[in-house]
Amino acid sequence: MTPKRRRRRQEAFLPYLLMAPALVLLAGILYPFSVGIYYSFTSYWLQYPKRFRFVWFDNYISLFEEALFDRALQFTLGFTVAAVILQVGLGLAVALFLHGRIPGRAVLRALMLLPLMIPPVITALMWKIMMASTNAGIINYLLSFLGLGPVNWFGSPWGAIASVLIIDTWGNLPFVALILLGALQALPTEPYEAARVDGASPAAMLRYITLPLLSPFLILAGTFRAMDSLRVFDVIYATTMGGPNDATTNLHIMAYQFAFQWYQIGKGMAQAVVLLILVVLVSYLLLRLWNRASERTVQ
Amino acid sequence: MRIPRRWLSALLLTGLVTTQAPPPAAAQDSEALAYYRQAKINWRQAEGQSLTIGLNKHPFTESLLPLIPQFRALTGINVDYLILPEAEYFTKLAADLSQQRGEFSVIMTAPIRNWGYVIPDWILPLDGFLSDPKLTDRAWYNLEDFFPGLLASNRWSGKIGGGIGEGPLYSIPVLSETYILAYRKDIFEQYNIKIPTTIEEMAEAARLVKKNAGIAGITARGTPSVASIGTGFISGLKSYTDNQWGELDAQLRGNLHDPRSVKYTETWVNMVRESGPPNWANVQWYDAMEAFTAGQAGMIADADFFAANYEDPSKSKVAGKVGYALLPAGPGGKTYASLSTWALGINKATKNKDAAWLFVQWATAQRTLLNATLGFRNYNPTRSSVFNDPEVQKVMGSWGNGNYLKTVARNLETARVAWIPQPERVRVGDIWARSLHEIYFQKMSAADALKRADAEIDKVLKEAGIRP
Repeated sequence: MTPKRRRRRQEAFLPYLLMAPALVLLAGILYPFSVGIYYSFTSYWLQYPKRFRFVWFDNYISLFEEALFDRALQFTLGFTVAAVILQVGLGLAVALFLHGRIPGRAVLRALMLLPLMIPPVITALMWKIMMASTNAGIINYLLSFLGLGPVNWFGSPWGAIASVLIIDTWGNLPFVALILLGALQALPTEPYEAARVDGASPAAMLRYITLPLLSPFLILAGTFRAMDSLRVFDVIYATTMGGPNDATTNLHIMAYQFAFQWYQIGKGMAQAVVLLILVVLVSYLLLRLWNRASERTVQ
Repeated sequence: MRIPRRWLSALLLTGLVTTQAPPPAAAQDSEALAYYRQAKINWRQAEGQSLTIGLNKHPFTESLLPLIPQFRALTGINVDYLILPEAEYFTKLAADLSQQRGEFSVIMTAPIRNWGYVIPDWILPLDGFLSDPKLTDRAWYNLEDFFPGLLASNRWSGKIGGGIGEGPLYSIPVLSETYILAYRKDIFEQYNIKIPTTIEEMAEAARLVKKNAGIAGITARGTPSVASIGTGFISGLKSYTDNQWGELDAQLRGNLHDPRSVKYTETWVNMVRESGPPNWANVQWYDAMEAFTAGQAGMIADADFFAANYEDPSKSKVAGKVGYALLPAGPGGKTYASLSTWALGINKATKNKDAAWLFVQWATAQRTLLNATLGFRNYNPTRSSVFNDPEVQKVMGSWGNGNYLKTVARNLETARVAWIPQPERVRVGDIWARSLHEIYFQKMSAADALKRADAEIDKVLKEAGIRP
């Protein structure tokens, strides 16, 4: 074998070698994933091992008879739409603010990232204390200066929905703002110079230059947030456990209850699979939108 | 800093504070161990083996942990433990039991939990260990010292719908609770409010407290989970129906729509909506306990031993101001409160069964439970000798000017496990609690909400194969 040929052979192996860790990791993910899918087609119920059977699509069909499923699906979708609009909207505002020439910009940019560094469960518990329904909660105390409240944060269905939305937004806003801030800084300056020469107002520049150029990034940030919001769990589990009156029960909480509170693994897994399909579907649609938007901006 | 301070109070209580220097640690150890060595068994027969104990984060757990080094010294058995909050603990426990890997050797359980573990054959009956002279010195251990009713509640024949107190013993009780009414004596006296004897009077008292004192008339658990049903609420309902009613009928069908249950539920839910804390629907047991301890509510219908918290001047704003009474009785004039015990049981899949039993025997021995109560506030004790120990009596006897002890003793005469034995108790309770939310938020009438809950219960029990 010539040295040249040996080298060529070594090079042929190299990609496999480099991929090996990823393949091992993939197998580690795929195995429990496949087992989960398999269980979703069975009557697996921890306390009744003797009743274990393959039931085909029974668990999926029975979802439609489950009163909770309707509510959970509605809340999952409603929460996602609200969270994405809120977080992308506010994220854009924060990004524009920090992109402007303001004093202390560097410090503010660093401070903005703080919520990202706190684990969501801690965030949720922190807010739970601040949002106590009585005047012992600091939020209600502060609201009282504005002549508002006290808001029954976790004790009423709408209060609870607002609470989890606020907490989730506080924790994830920096992520959206960071993406958009990065994008703003990378935007070409020529269109702005041209617009300024033509005497365009800042509002017009935002509307006709910034937003169109930013649109792929807005969609990208929205996609990430949509995927996360569809399957949000920690914030809800740590504050409302899906209550009151099931107002904050989403598919993920429902699947958890079935699988880990009532030990009906088969049903819980079916619900988790439905959630997975929903996440894949929504992200696919959003990514198509993103593709189209980025092609448009490149042109 | 917490434990040393507790030790100090324990020392004060037992009158052991002397001006002499304390004996060296080794001497203390051997003195403490001498009690256990009186038992005619070889404590070191499983030396070198290892145990993992599964524990729920609970006052009992806090009282057990500081004593565990003693068990290590006595037996040479290594002990590890995992402590999780209640919901996570029971999930982890079910996962371990069902996989039969025996990760936990000894488990913290309760009679109502055992029902779910006996049917799939996950936990061991303890009678075999108790009758094996190699493993247990019956005379020394003195099982008869446990209150008979508490021990009985940990026996179950395995018959769905009945059989409590019959058949094998699945766990040994370490802490007992019954449910009573604690109220703010000062407020009740100041505004001349009558101590309630019916559920209607209780609602009225709650209304008056709120109107006059400007705090919640009553605080109670309210999250949509079985925990909101199983204490004051179910105890009141059992009493309201003179113990003639259960959540399932003889055919194991949902029985929540029974007119008496509907009437009681309506009164209870209206009471917490009108006079309870605004966030009732999100109140867990510790929120309720803390709110009452902080002086934010006029009444609480929950576990009797919360009194240890109410009466602890270092954290309570209401110490010395609390009255204790039985929950409102039914037409027959008697209160039928629910009763529950925390207990230790053994995982069937554990490899070190004998070592596990030695741990259970040690942890439930007279001296261990006495130390847990005197040193670390493990109330209420389950052994009569601990309950009647002069020092323990002195502490409990001081609560509510002696009213606490009297109330608990009277409650125990008629208290029993309120739930109907079946493995889906948690699920039934969760469905039930959700229906309370429908009523509380006025989405449905009590009759409709409870009827709907019954339909769901019927569906689940059928699916589980519990009902034909």
